[in-house]
Amino acid sequence: MDHAQAQSTFSDFVEGSLPERERLEVEQHLAACIQCRTELQSFRRTVGSLGKLKRTAPPSFLPDIKQQIYRRSHGRFFAPRWKLFGRIPFEWISLATIIAMLVYYLAMLHGTPSGVHPAP
Amino acid sequence: MSLAERLLIARLKERDGRAFDEIVGLYGDKVFSLVYRMLGNRHEAEDVAQEVFITVFKTVDGFRGEAKFSTWLLRIAANQSKNRIKYLSRRPTDGGEIDDALEARAAAGTAGSVSRAQIDGPDLLFEAAETEAIMQRAIAALPEDHRLLVILRDVEEMSYQEIGEITGLPEGTIKSRLHRARMSIKEELDRHTK
Repeated sequence: MDHAQAQSTFSDFVEGSLPERERLEVEQHLAACIQCRTELQSFRRTVGSLGKLKRTAPPSFLPDIKQQIYRRSHGRFFAPRWKLFGRIPFEWISLATIIAMLVYYLAMLHGTPSGVHPAP
Repeated sequence: MSLAERLLIARLKERDGRAFDEIVGLYGDKVFSLVYRMLGNRHEAEDVAQEVFITVFKTVDGFRGEAKFSTWLLRIAANQSKNRIKYLSRRPTDGGEIDDALEARAAAGTAGSVSRAQIDGPDLLFEAAETEAIMQRAIAALPEDHRLLVILRDVEEMSYQEIGEITGLPEGTIKSRLHRARMSIKEELDRHTK
């Protein structure tokens, strides 16, 4: 095995996917060849460094996308909600209204009517 | 595809806003990272990554679940990145790559990849940022299909099967192109470190 042959197997060698016989040949070559050992070391460092290149999306990523969709759909999707009603579910508002009306009804039913006098 | 993922996609097809939030939360970083490394420019990457999710929102009805959702999504991201590369190659350069090399140095303090460097001091921090800038330039110099493979495999750590589904290439082709791409990046890195 020469240098070029050995170096052409580096990806499979590093990933551990080289067939047993070939792997042994590469290992034999590496044991005797300092140039290829150095190259392999550099190859490993490169692949390792590539794994550190991940990036995260900016914090404004989601709001920006939603704003774009809102604009392009002419307000059909992701319309900004009015703050109060955006936070309080409509069911709660309905329930509160019903309770308020019930209290008012009961108050009217049991309260003394003022300014109304029985006919003589 | 898991049941949870199927339910999430079903909600997205009904244009459920919270399902969309979840999708962006789950895949936003992966898409942004892929697009950023393909284009090498933050401003362009933000624009294209946003377009990817807008396309997903518009065309999710066409997703029939034959592939994994992430595969479908990353295929859109890869295609839109390639289209933007073609578009940008027809325009005169505005020095964006230089900006990004500087940005890589500035961002070194916030990138998870350099936490070791942060511990060891400013010299290593600077060295890590320099390495990142060199690697980004080496990636940018690759043909775009080689670039995509090295990003999917070595940056995003995806399996050969997933890469095959995204690119439509057989495993043998992926491996040979990936090896050439890695060697090319290695040579560029060696040239700067020797």
